[in-house]
Amino acid sequence: MEEVEYFEPKSVAEACALLAERENAKLLAGGASLGALLKSKLIFPEALVTLKSVPGLREIERTPGGELRIGALCRHREIVESPLLREHCSVLAEAGAKIASPAIRNVGTIGGNICHGDPTADFPPALIALGAQLEVVGSGGTRVVPVREFFTDHYETVLSPDEIVVSIRIPPLPPRCGAASLDLTKTHNSVAIVHVAALVGVDERGRCTHAGLGAGGVASTPLHISEAATLVGEPLSPAGIERVAEAAMEQARPVSNSHASASYRREMVGVLTRRALRAAWERAGKAPADISATRGREEP
Amino acid sequence: MKQEIEISVNGSRVRLAVEPGRTLLQVLREDLELTGTKEGCGTGECGACTVLLDNEPVRSCLLLAVDANGRQVTTIEGVSRDGQPHRIQQAFVDVGAVQCGFCTPGMVLVAKALLDAKPQPTEAEIREAISGNLCRCTGYAKIVKAIQACG
Repeated sequence: MEEVEYFEPKSVAEACALLAERENAKLLAGGASLGALLKSKLIFPEALVTLKSVPGLREIERTPGGELRIGALCRHREIVESPLLREHCSVLAEAGAKIASPAIRNVGTIGGNICHGDPTADFPPALIALGAQLEVVGSGGTRVVPVREFFTDHYETVLSPDEIVVSIRIPPLPPRCGAASLDLTKTHNSVAIVHVAALVGVDERGRCTHAGLGAGGVASTPLHISEAATLVGEPLSPAGIERVAEAAMEQARPVSNSHASASYRREMVGVLTRRALRAAWERAGKAPADISATRGREEP
Repeated sequence: MKQEIEISVNGSRVRLAVEPGRTLLQVLREDLELTGTKEGCGTGECGACTVLLDNEPVRSCLLLAVDANGRQVTTIEGVSRDGQPHRIQQAFVDVGAVQCGFCTPGMVLVAKALLDAKPQPTEAEIREAISGNLCRCTGYAKIVKAIQACG
């Protein structure tokens, strides 16, 4: 690890070119995930390409049309504290507040959290529920990838070796909506056993106009629970919630490990789905200014 | 290939040539002989390696030394002044919040960062701030009390 080559490009294009030239190079953002892999001797790159001097990757903006753009190098702490996100997309602040520890949140980035490809990562379920997209730049050009199509397997994504995620785009949210990100953990900041995030939009007559659901920890990738879309058109009902919870349990492909068994994970994704949908629905019932960034930690 | 870097460590400018793959923890302990910062888990989870980078707690076991270039690092050695303990260190001693002492440097630095930003934190804020620092000895109660005593 000590003799690794280290490059500090000054632009995205330069970074892509460096990644394209070297077969065994890794991109370095905050270093929270990559550092752990290096220290655990799970990967042996010959070169590290750091993004720390590339401009334009740390902004959080809202376009006049209501789209939110989050630079991939925004740190978790910045996402949790961002007034813009707390007002317009507080579920991301809620998800980010649960990551690891304050020291990790001071350096870890949202781009790194997504691209690391951990199926229990904290941002992907919320991003899937929000219908978020990733702006990806490579030597061959730019493309946009929906987060729900980004992951292919444990720690694997659709990125080519020379591609970099530069920003996360959240489409304009419905005027009346609520979202919740709930996780089940053993201790305060430990890795999530199961993670569910829900977004629902409601019209003046109380009917659901929009619904999205993402789940983590129950498959080799974060999951998009497409059944949530069937809630649209009617008020949220116990029957509707149950139908989506059953679909989440059906879609899950959990694996047993030292943290939890597969059967427990499957059971819990159903529980968290019900709770996340109810919490999101309750939050949607309030005026937009009332959607607050309360911690959505599982209540007993 | 070694890279030239300059870091401010506990207020003093230090110039070093380091291999890029070396962590800040390795450079602090091995090159600068500042052994107050500890290696516990080596993967960023236990907090024993905590230092302040531009006054924010970070994991020195995960940070490459080259990424501290041009920045300010505070280790536990930089907390006391002229051999006199900082009031946070004195509070830890007075309350009895130190047993084996391995987590203590990280705890004191996290406490310092918290108290610098929030002079009178609530118990919940204290517990959140130290949530990334593991202690196997004390059960955390006296550590929380010591930090409250500084508020």
